[in-house]
Order: sequence, then C-alpha cells, then structure tokens
Amino acid sequence: MSISTESLLVALSGIVIVFIMLAALSLLIVGLSRIVGSLAGNKPAAAAPAPAPAPRPAPAAAPAAPAPVQLSGVSDLTAACIMAIVSDELGTTPDQLVFRSIKAL
Amino acid sequence: MGDFSFVEIMGKILSESGFAAMIKDPRSLIMIVIACVLLYLGIGKKFEPLLLVPIAFGILLANFPLTGLLNGPAVAADGSMTSPGMLWVFYQGVQHAIYPSIIFLGIGAMTDFGPLIARPSSMLLGAAAQFGIFSAFLLALALGFPGNVAAAIGVIGGADGPTAILTASKLAPSYLPAIAIAAYSYMALIPMIQPPLMRLMTTQKEREIKMEQLRPVSKAEKIVFPIAVAIIVIGLIPETAPLIGMLMLGNLFRECGVVDRLSDTAQNALCNIVTIFLGLSVGCKAIAENFLTFETIKIILLGLLAFMLSTVGGLLFGKIMCKLSGGKINPLIGSAGVSAVPMAARVAQVEGQKANPANFLLMHAMGPNVAGVIGSAVAAGFMIKVFGG
Repeated sequence: MSISTESLLVALSGIVIVFIMLAALSLLIVGLSRIVGSLAGNKPAAAAPAPAPAPRPAPAAAPAAPAPVQLSGVSDLTAACIMAIVSDELGTTPDQLVFRSIKAL
Repeated sequence: MGDFSFVEIMGKILSESGFAAMIKDPRSLIMIVIACVLLYLGIGKKFEPLLLVPIAFGILLANFPLTGLLNGPAVAADGSMTSPGMLWVFYQGVQHAIYPSIIFLGIGAMTDFGPLIARPSSMLLGAAAQFGIFSAFLLALALGFPGNVAAAIGVIGGADGPTAILTASKLAPSYLPAIAIAAYSYMALIPMIQPPLMRLMTTQKEREIKMEQLRPVSKAEKIVFPIAVAIIVIGLIPETAPLIGMLMLGNLFRECGVVDRLSDTAQNALCNIVTIFLGLSVGCKAIAENFLTFETIKIILLGLLAFMLSTVGGLLFGKIMCKLSGGKINPLIGSAGVSAVPMAARVAQVEGQKANPANFLLMHAMGPNVAGVIGSAVAAGFMIKVFGG
C-alpha cells in the first residue's frame, strides 16, 4: 500500500473519527456535568465542596496581578513542583496563591 | 571413564558455548552492544528507566545464542510437548494485549481527569495532537512500508508506549521492538523535542497568556466520567476495549473511593510487576535478524517525525482555540495533547512560566494531556479496525 487516494482517505477518516469521538465525549462531559449538577441541586461550577478545611489565602491577594516569582538557587522546574505541592497541601490551585519568592536553604 | 580427556571436554564446552555461536554470527554481539548502550541511556541518562532498563536487559538475554529462552512449545520426537522458553511465555502477555492493558489500568488509577472534566474543550486539543499518527502513517507508506506496519509506526506519534506496543503487537509483531524503543525513547526526550517547536509555533504574547482558574469538579462527575466514556468509546469502536476499558476501570477505582486497596495495587504493585514483564517481552523480540535492518532506522526517524507532527498539530489547534476564545487559552497547552502523561503537561508549564513567571499552566495542560491518552487509544483502535484483518 503506497500513498494513494485510498491511504489518504484512511488518514483523513482516522483524524476525523478521532475528532468526532473526542468532540462527542466533550459534549457528553458537558451534559453529564449539567445532569450531575442539577441532581446535586446546584450548578456544576459550584458542585464540588472544598476538599478540606485548609487555610485559605488572603482574598485580596489571589486576584491581584502577581509579580514574577523571585527564584534564588532554585530551578524553574523545582519551583513549579514546590508551588504545585504547596497548592495541593492547601487544597487549592496555584492560581489562587501568590508566590513572591522561593529560596534554596 | 577411561577415554576421559580434559582438553577434549573443554574444547567441546567452548565449541558449543554461546561465545562460539557469537563468533559464527556476530550480529548477536552487535545486539548485545546495543543492549548495553540502552542500559547506559536508561541508568546513566535516566531515559524512561522503568521501561528502558528491562527492555535493554530483555535484548541482552534474547541475543545470547543457544539459550532457548524464545523457543515456543514444540512436539518432541516421542510425541510429548517440550517446555517453552521463559521469554516466550512472558511474550504471550504482549501477544494477547494483556500487559499494555494492565499498564493502562495503572495509568487510569494514577490519572485525575478533573482538569478535562472542568474544561471539556481540552478534548479537541487531545484530538488535534493525534495529527502526527496519521501523517506519520502516510510518510511510512511513502517510504515503502505496508499499510499495517505504517499504521503501527504512525501510532508512535501518540506518545503513548502501551498503545504503540498493543498496536504493533497486533499489526506488525516483527517491528514491535523498534516501535516500542522509538516510542519510549522519544517520550523521554519530550523536554528536548517539544520546546523548540513550542517557541517556533507561538508568539511571546501567546505564551504569556494567563488562563482562568478551572472550576471545581464534583466527586459524582468524576465517578460518572469513566463509566460514560467506556460505554461511548467501546460501544463505537470495540477495538479500543482493552485500552479504554482498563484505563477507565483504573480511573473508577481511583475515583469511587470504596476500593482504595485495588486503586493502590493498580497504581503501584501491579503496574510495577507488569512493567517488568512488558519490558522484558518487548526487548526479547529485538533479535538481530529482525532488528539490525534499515527498516529499524526508518522507524526511529519516522517516530521522531510523528512526535513532532503531533506536537505541531496540538499547537496549531491551540492557536485556533486561542483566537476563538478571544485570547483566553494559552496555545502552549495544545502541545500537551500528545499523551505522554504528565511529561508533556510539565513541559507546557515550564515554557509558559519562562514566558510569564506568574503563569501556571500545569493543571490547564493536564486536560489535553489526559485527552491525548483517550485520543491515541481511539486512533489506535481505528488503525487496528482498518488493518487488523
């Protein structure tokens, strides 16, 4: 089977099927979220309770335009890991926290 | 005992040894050197060591002459069945798609689909990043590979080792080692392959885009998700059942909260045990007459192209989504649509933060990343359906 109209059709059908399947799943997720949200008696966006009564960041700090994180002796990758771990421990996401500096001790 | 001759016995031992056979056919010696190089890459350079070390040792074992490790059962002269070799027995788990499926069970148990459920449009990025599979398929055809082999080579572009192994075992068993080694090597090289493409395909302004926080996802949504995905995907493409079925079962173990022991076993002990068998089984198929061919070099190069094209596909679709969303989606997360979890998402995070230190793309990139796992399984199922006979 060299490149022929048939093989081009196979490739095209393949990517189209992958798109259709994942688009269908995407719609399915939207539908399921709405159903689950309505069964739970609230909207999906507010469906999940906080995972733990973890200390919350100061409300004013989160949405403020954050300054770049100052890294001292720490690589970007290590800093990203630290931020992810801290967020996880606090039961929140990195977007809700402001990291000002990370310094290697 | 009167005719015993020490020299004669030693000569017989040496002439019937594996070393003597290696001198007769030095190709096995070359394979042993390749195994040692792969061991160095796994141990010294830490290239996917969990897979590369057992694969390399499997190559080492399989290429010692006269061991019989790969011999299948046969009928002896007296009519009885001979015992099969150990590696032949191990390989049955690959032949019958058992190991890749169990690895998917572990991946499912380790994966949080929350970011994908929170932003379902990530699914499309996971689909776009399968572009490399189909373009590499066409390139492989152009290089003279038959359709079934070209399909198996293309799946390397999914950046998903178990899926590539399963497809190769069904469509092109003799090319399995080259395909598996290419898939796992490039997965390890993602931090080197993807960033130049990411910088080439996106502007500084696009890379700086800070994405909105994802909504929280309820436990009920996370429980329903694997069940619904299994029903829909397997119902439409039954060939995906081994991979999608086990992936979703593993995820259900994780999310349902009532089988923590099973979830823990799937994530750790079972996955580790099967990784050993999978690595040895893949390695043992890399015997000189199959592996030391020009086709292997072509597969390695096609695998690299497939990876790059998948990344480009994800990034291009990321740019489209960036435009459509009015600049709310950072196109870098498109590159995470290749399914190397979580490596590709980490690369998106690192590149995003280089452009804007306040950028946290990791969770946003995890959505396309896990969608890529589903996407590559669907693409592999499609290829098996078309070329599986």
